[in-house]
Amino acid sequence: MLKTLFAALPLALALSLPAAAQSPYPDHTIRIVHGFAAGGNADTVSRIIADALSQDLGQAVIVEARPGAGGTVASGYVAQQEADGYTLQLLVGGHPVAAALYNSLPFDSLDDFTFISTVGQFPFFVGAQHGRFASIQEVIDAARANPRSIRIGHAGVGSTQHLTGELLGLETGVQFLHVPYQGGAAATTALMGGEIDLVIDAGTVILGQADAGVFDALAVTSGERWDDRPDVPTLAETVAPGFDVLSWTGIGAPAGLPADIAETLNAAVNRALQDEGVRERILALGASPVGSTGEEFRAMVERQIATWTRVIDAAEIERR
Amino acid sequence: MLEQFMMGLGVVMQPSVLVYALAGVVIGQLIGVLPGIGAITAISLLLPITFHLDATSSIILLAGIYYGSQYGGSIASILLNLPGTPSSVVTCLEGYPMAQKGRAGLALFIAAFSSFIGGMIGVALVVAAAIPMASIALRFGAAEYAMLVVLGLIAASLIGTGSQLRSLAMVLVGIALGLVGADTTTGFYRFVGMPELAEGISLVSLAMGLFGVSEIIRSVNSEAPRQTRIAVSMRDILPTRAEFREITGPILRGAGIGSFFGALPGTGAAIASFMAYAVEKRVSRTPGRFGTGHLPGIAAPESSNNAAAQTSFIPTLTLGVPGDAVMALMIGALVLNGVIPGPRLMIDQPTLFWGVIASFFIGNLILLLINIPLIRLWVLLLRIPYRKLYPVIIIMICVGVYSHRTSVVDVVLTLGFGILGYLLKNVRFEPAPILLGFVLGPLFEENFRRAMLLNGGDFTVFATRPISGTLLACTVALLVYSLASGLAARRRARRAAPPS
Repeated sequence: MLKTLFAALPLALALSLPAAAQSPYPDHTIRIVHGFAAGGNADTVSRIIADALSQDLGQAVIVEARPGAGGTVASGYVAQQEADGYTLQLLVGGHPVAAALYNSLPFDSLDDFTFISTVGQFPFFVGAQHGRFASIQEVIDAARANPRSIRIGHAGVGSTQHLTGELLGLETGVQFLHVPYQGGAAATTALMGGEIDLVIDAGTVILGQADAGVFDALAVTSGERWDDRPDVPTLAETVAPGFDVLSWTGIGAPAGLPADIAETLNAAVNRALQDEGVRERILALGASPVGSTGEEFRAMVERQIATWTRVIDAAEIERR
Repeated sequence: MLEQFMMGLGVVMQPSVLVYALAGVVIGQLIGVLPGIGAITAISLLLPITFHLDATSSIILLAGIYYGSQYGGSIASILLNLPGTPSSVVTCLEGYPMAQKGRAGLALFIAAFSSFIGGMIGVALVVAAAIPMASIALRFGAAEYAMLVVLGLIAASLIGTGSQLRSLAMVLVGIALGLVGADTTTGFYRFVGMPELAEGISLVSLAMGLFGVSEIIRSVNSEAPRQTRIAVSMRDILPTRAEFREITGPILRGAGIGSFFGALPGTGAAIASFMAYAVEKRVSRTPGRFGTGHLPGIAAPESSNNAAAQTSFIPTLTLGVPGDAVMALMIGALVLNGVIPGPRLMIDQPTLFWGVIASFFIGNLILLLINIPLIRLWVLLLRIPYRKLYPVIIIMICVGVYSHRTSVVDVVLTLGFGILGYLLKNVRFEPAPILLGFVLGPLFEENFRRAMLLNGGDFTVFATRPISGTLLACTVALLVYSLASGLAARRRARRAAPPS
C-alpha cells in the first residue's frame, strides 16, 4: 500500500506542477526583510505585519533581519532582489535620512523601490527630568541665553532623533550641545542620571517615564497634537512654527513590482491595519496605525529626503 | 519584601505559568549549548508567540531563555574549547584543559554548581536591593564608565597564561579590532571596507573564531590520539571536600562582581566573567596554576555571568530602561502586552514584577536539576571520534554566526579569526586578552570622549567626580602596588643569587 503511494508521488507532483505555475500570487513563502537588530522596533513591526499578512494571504510570511549601516545593508540587498512580490522590506523613517546622510549608496532611495503602504506613524517627544523646566519655551530661553548649555542626548549620530534635535536648533535659532549615545535607551538612562538635559525620542521611550513622574514630556514633534497625549503641546504651536516631524514604518519592495501584486499587497496591508489586534500592537509601540496608497508613501519619502538634506547641510554633519 | 516574593512564588507555581518557566530555561539551555546562536536570536524568534500570552508568562518565558543560555554556554567551552556564548569564553581557559586531563565531568559539575549559586545570589540581590542598586547604577555617567574600564583593563592585564607583555600586545590587537565600524561620537566610518562592517566586527564571530575554529584546526592537525579513558562515574564528577573549599571564595567573589556589572547598563555578563577571572588570578596564591585546569578559574566566571544575567533585570524592571539588547527585547515584550515599563511597574503590576523575579528562583533550581544528570551524557560526547565530530561543529558555528546578523561576511570573518587564533597560539600568544580589549576598548573610548564633550575638554572631571575619582585612585594604587611588588621581587631575586 505504502509502496504504491510512494510510487504515485512523483506522478502526482508532476501533474500538480502546471497548476502551480498558474496559481495566483502568492503561491509560496513571502519574506519581509528589514535592516535592524532582531527584536528592535522594526523587527517587532515586521513580525506584527508578517503575522497579519500570512493570515490574509494564506501563505507563510517570514521576517529576515539584515542589520547594518542604518538599514542601508538591507535596502541595498532588497533593491537587487526579484520584484515578484516574494521579497518585501519594512522601511522606516531612517530610509530618507540615509538618502540624505550617505555619500554613495549602492541604490537609489526612491527609484529602486516600490512603495506599497505605510504601516504606522509616530512623533517624537521632548523629555526632560521632572520639574527641571516648566515649559519648552523655558528650554529655548535658557539655550538662547547660554549657547551650548542645554545638552540633548540622542540615539546616535545621523539618527532621526539626532536630526530632529538639529532641526529644532535651526528653527529656533539656538545652539544645543548634541550628545550621542548608543540608542535611545542609553540616552534615557543618562537623562535619568542627570548627565544631559533633554532627550528627543519616541513615545515608547519617553511616555512611560512621564507617567511615572520621572520625566516631563515638554513637547511633541508632530504638526498637530498627538491623539494619545492631547495635553502635550506641539513644537509648532510653542517655539518653532511649522515644525512637523513624524517618523514612520511602511512596506516596500524592489522597483518594478507588477501593479496587480502591488495592489494585492496594498489592500492586504490596509486590511491588516483595520484589524483590532494589529492596531492595538502598533499603538502599543507608540505609533498610530496609518495605511496609505503607494503614491502617498513615495511622496512622503521624497519630501523627507529634502528636509533631512537641508538639516544635514545646515548642521554641517559629515556625510559618510 | 519576603512577603511579596512569596506572593510571586504563588504566581509562578500555577501550572499554567510554571510551564513557561520550564520551557524558557530548557530552550535557553539548548541555545546556550549551540555555538553562536544566542539568546537574542531565540528570543526575537519567540517574541510573536508572546502576542498570545499574558505579560507575566511572556517575560518568564523570555527571561528563562536568557539566563538558561548562561548555563548551557559553558558546556561546549569545557568539552570542545568552543564558547556557546561570549560570556562563557573565559570558561574555556580552565575548563578545556580539565577536559583534556579527563576531568570534564568535574569541570561541568563545577560550572553548573557555580552558575546556580551565582544565579541565586543575583536573584537574592534583585529581591532585596533592586532599588538601591538601580540608583547607584544611575550615578555612573561617562566619566565613571571611562575610569571603571581603565581600572578593569589594568586589573585584568594579567589575563591569559603567557607573559604580561604578550598579553598586553593582545589587548591592543583587541582594541584595534574594536575600532572597526561607525564611531559613536562622530558617526564617522572607521576601517569599514564594506557596509556589513558598519556596525563593527561581531563579538560572536570573534569569539567563535579565536576559540572554536582555531581549536578545530589545531586538533585536526595534531597526531596525538585523544584521551580514551573518560570518567563518567558519579565519584569522578563530584568535587572533593577540599575542592569545594577551594571554589567557595571564587564563587562568592564572582557573584559579587557579576551582580555589579549586571546591574550597570552597558556592561554585562561577558565583561563580568572576564573581570571575575582576572580578580581570581590577582588574589590567588598560586597564579601559576591558572591555564592548566584550575577550579577557581571556572567557578568565578561561571558564578559571575549568571549573577550578572539576573541583576541585569534590575534597570529594566525598576527603571524601565534596558541595559543591553536582550533587555530591550524584554521591554518590547512588555510593551506588546500593553504594559508600559517604568518605575511604576513594581507598584502597578506587583504580580508581574514579583512573579518574574520568583520565576528566576524556580528557573535556577530547574536548571541545576537538569544540568547535573546531563553531565554524564555530555561527557560521553567526547567518545565520538574527533574526525566525525568536527565537520558538525564547523557547520554549527557557521549557522550560529550567520543567524546572528544574517551576514555571510561574519561567517568568513569567523573562519579568518580561526586561522589568526591558530597562528597566534603557535607563537604562544593567548587569544583571551584580544576579546578583553575588543569589549573594553570601545566602551572606554565612547565614554571618555562623551565625558570630554560634556565637560568642554576638561580632564579634571575624572578626578573631581566622587565615584570617578575613587576609581582613578584605585587604579593608581593598583599600578603602584604592582610596580613596587615587582621591583621588590626582583631585588629579592638578586640578593638570593649573588653575582658570579
